[in-house]
Amino acid sequence: MDLKEAVKDKIPWDGTLPLNEFSLSASTFSDKWKMFNHSFPPWLWNPCPKHHLNSSHKVEGYLSLENVCLVKSCEEEKNHGSLSWKAESNISQAEEPFDHATLVCPEFEANHYDFHIVYSPSYRVPVLYFRSYYSDGQPLPLSEIEKDLPGHSAELLLESKWTFITQEEHPYLNRPWYKLHPCGTRDWMKLLLSDTYTSSNKNFIEQYLVSWFSVVGQVVGLKISLEMLNIEEKKLFETTASDIFE
Amino acid sequence: MAADSPTSVRKVVVHLRATGDAPILKQSKFKIAGTDKFAKVIEFLRRQLHRETLFVYVNSAFSPNPDELVVDLYNNFGFDGKLVVNYACSMAWG
Repeated sequence: MDLKEAVKDKIPWDGTLPLNEFSLSASTFSDKWKMFNHSFPPWLWNPCPKHHLNSSHKVEGYLSLENVCLVKSCEEEKNHGSLSWKAESNISQAEEPFDHATLVCPEFEANHYDFHIVYSPSYRVPVLYFRSYYSDGQPLPLSEIEKDLPGHSAELLLESKWTFITQEEHPYLNRPWYKLHPCGTRDWMKLLLSDTYTSSNKNFIEQYLVSWFSVVGQVVGLKISLEMLNIEEKKLFETTASDIFE
Repeated sequence: MAADSPTSVRKVVVHLRATGDAPILKQSKFKIAGTDKFAKVIEFLRRQLHRETLFVYVNSAFSPNPDELVVDLYNNFGFDGKLVVNYACSMAWG
């Protein structure tokens, strides 16, 4: 390790992910998701539209998970942090047509969601963007989206201002999307990853998005599988720490 | 970590650890049924601390989804016979 690296590691980490590491972290995240979260379609990498590459921020692309349907039924037990999702192509077989004229709650409703993970050069952290629309393509207003959110855990995160929902133009797509505001992200990422951080640690970079998503996913009801979390390595680390401190 | 014990009778020891300036609990260790969801731990913390706004995480660098079963978290991230759960309070934005 050269002197510059050694000095860098003495400075406490600020919770951010360097811009040039985003695509590595994104590809590790999407690989692990594909491997361990197979009830979902995979995240796809989208290179940034060409006209954005001329800016001083050289963000290469973003991740997308699109057209997942939120499955709701009247009898569904209220979950705390996760929701039932289906990829759009699975819906048509299962769905029964319902009669708009009746007062009985339809057995099956489907709101469609698109999720994007976009790097913010100003905050130097990833940001979750999302939008929702009915089956006929009409966008859902935020008041309806909030009814979809998994209740308790979403409320806690949003009320606490660890993150909150705002609407703004998507950085690359020129349309209004909702996003989970990134102003608090570096603070809670510090809590999650400070112990494992060193500036040259590739594992840390690969782990960043997985750790990050464990939090933001709760707000929108997307649950990561525990296998995504480098279990064997973590157990090794924990054993060492407990020997020293206890 | 025994995966062969029946989870219905097995209790998990949870150790709640305050981080930052979060208040320390008088009693920070307790037992919970493995088949309970993590939501119960979060709920317990909120009641004990009289605070709505808590950030709860496990040292293996993630925040567990409230729908996770405590026994799954213990089996994967527990050590020395317990599951350590950290908590922090809302920070003021600068």
